[in-house]
Amino acid sequence: MPSSRTVWSGVLSGIGLAAFVDETVFHQLLHWHHFYDRSTLTVGLVSDGLFHAGGFVSIVVGLFLRADAMRRGGFVPRRWWGAVLVGAGAFQLYDGLVQHKLFRLHQIRYHVTIWPYDVTWDVLAVVLVVVGAVLLATGRARSRQ
Amino acid sequence: MLELVPLGVSAVVLVAYVAGVRRLRRRGDRWAAARTRCVVAATCCVAVADLPPVGNHDDVFAVHVAQHLLTAMVAPLLLALSGPVTLALRAAPTAVRKRLLRLLRSRPVGVLASPAAAVVLDVGGLYVVYLTGLYRAMESHEVLHAAVHLHMFLAGCLLAWVVVGIDPVRRHGTTVKLGTLVVVGAGHDTLPKLMYAHDLPVGAGTALARHVGAQLLYYGGTAVELVVAVVVMAQWWRATGRRLAHSARRGTPTRRGVSKSRVLPRVGCTDDPSAAIGGPASFIGRRVRSRPSGPGRPLRVGVVVADPVSSTRRRPRRGGGTATGPTRH
Repeated sequence: MPSSRTVWSGVLSGIGLAAFVDETVFHQLLHWHHFYDRSTLTVGLVSDGLFHAGGFVSIVVGLFLRADAMRRGGFVPRRWWGAVLVGAGAFQLYDGLVQHKLFRLHQIRYHVTIWPYDVTWDVLAVVLVVVGAVLLATGRARSRQ
Repeated sequence: MLELVPLGVSAVVLVAYVAGVRRLRRRGDRWAAARTRCVVAATCCVAVADLPPVGNHDDVFAVHVAQHLLTAMVAPLLLALSGPVTLALRAAPTAVRKRLLRLLRSRPVGVLASPAAAVVLDVGGLYVVYLTGLYRAMESHEVLHAAVHLHMFLAGCLLAWVVVGIDPVRRHGTTVKLGTLVVVGAGHDTLPKLMYAHDLPVGAGTALARHVGAQLLYYGGTAVELVVAVVVMAQWWRATGRRLAHSARRGTPTRRGVSKSRVLPRVGCTDDPSAAIGGPASFIGRRVRSRPSGPGRPLRVGVVVADPVSSTRRRPRRGGGTATGPTRH
C-alpha cells in the first residue's frame, strides 16, 4: 500500500498527541489522575514516566515518517488526519476501557460519581475513531482516482 | 582539582581531535566542519560546568543538577555526534589504528556498547547517586565526588554512543535506539519525581533547594531527550534519503518489503555533494527540495523485486566483527 507510511505516521502522531494532551491537561494542569495510582506512589511515577517518554518519542517519529511519506510522494493529507484521529481515539479508548476498567490502574477523577466521566471519555474516543476511519476510507478512495 | 578530570579528558579529546582534522586536511581528505563544531561545543559545555562561576557553586543543588545536565547529557551527545573514533581510524598511524580496531572488536567493548549496559550504568548510576546516601557522602569526599562526576560523564558518553553515535563501534537499528531512548526517558522522568516526593537526596540543602533541583532535572532532562529523539530520527531520515537516491539512480528500490510500487522523486535526494560530508547537525531541512516540483513529473518505479543483496536494513558496518545480525562484506 503506497500510503501505509502516511497511516503509520498519522497513528503515531495521534497516539503521541493524545498522550501529550492527557499528560498536560489531566496530570499536570488539573491533577485529576496519574497514569497509575492504585499501587504505591512509586509505581505510579514510573508508569507516568514511561507514558511521558513514549508520548513525545511517538510524536517525533510520527512527524519524521510524515516527512518521509511526503518525500516519497505518496502522502495523502486526508488519510494522515484520519490516522491521527484513529490513533488518538484508539489510545483514549484503550486508556478508558483497558487501563481504567479492566486493569483498574486509575480512574479519571476521584471522589466524584465516576460513570459520567467514563461515558464521556469513551464516547469521545469512539467518535474520534469513527471520524478518523471515515477520513481514512474517503482519503483512500480519492487517492485511487 | 579532582573535579576537573572530566574537563581534562574532554580537553585532551579536543586537542587530539583538532590534530587529527589537521592531519586529514594536510593530506587532502575532507572532514565535516559540523563535526568539529560538535567537539568544540562539547568541551565548552564541560568547561562551563566545571569552571567558575558555575563550578565553584556546586554545593547548591540546582547548580549541581545543571552541571549534571551539561556534563553527563549535553556534552556526551555532542561528543558522540563528532565521531572521534571515526576520525582516529582515519588519521592515526597504522599501528594505532590496528590496535584501536582490535579494541573496538573486543568482547568487553561489545558488552559495554550494548543498550542494556549503557542504560544500567547511566540511569542506574543516577538512581544510586540521588536516592541513596551517596550524594551526601560525595559532598564531603573530594575523591568520591570526582569519581561520581567522571562516572556520570563516561556513562553519558556510553549511552550517547549507543543512541546517536556515528562511530563504527557497535551500531543499532533505529527501533532499538528509540526503545533505549524511551526507557532512559522514563527513568529520567521518574527520578526527579521520586526525589520531589521523598525529599531526596539527603544533604542537598533545604526542601526548596531540593525541589528546584528536582524540577530542573525533570524539565532539563526532557528537553535533552526530545532533542535526542529528533537527532535519531534525523539520522534515519538521512540514511533513508541516501537509500532512496541510490535506488532512484539504479532504477530499483533497494529496500524490500516497503511497498509494491513506489513513487520516487525525479529530483535526486542526495546528489548534493555537501550532504555526503555534512556533519551530524547539518541535516535538518536539507532534503526539503527533494519533493518533485516544477514541470518534472515523479518517476514511477515498478514492482519491487526482492533484492537479496540489500536485504539488510542498515548500512554495512565499517567496524565489522563485533556487530550482531546480518552483515555484508
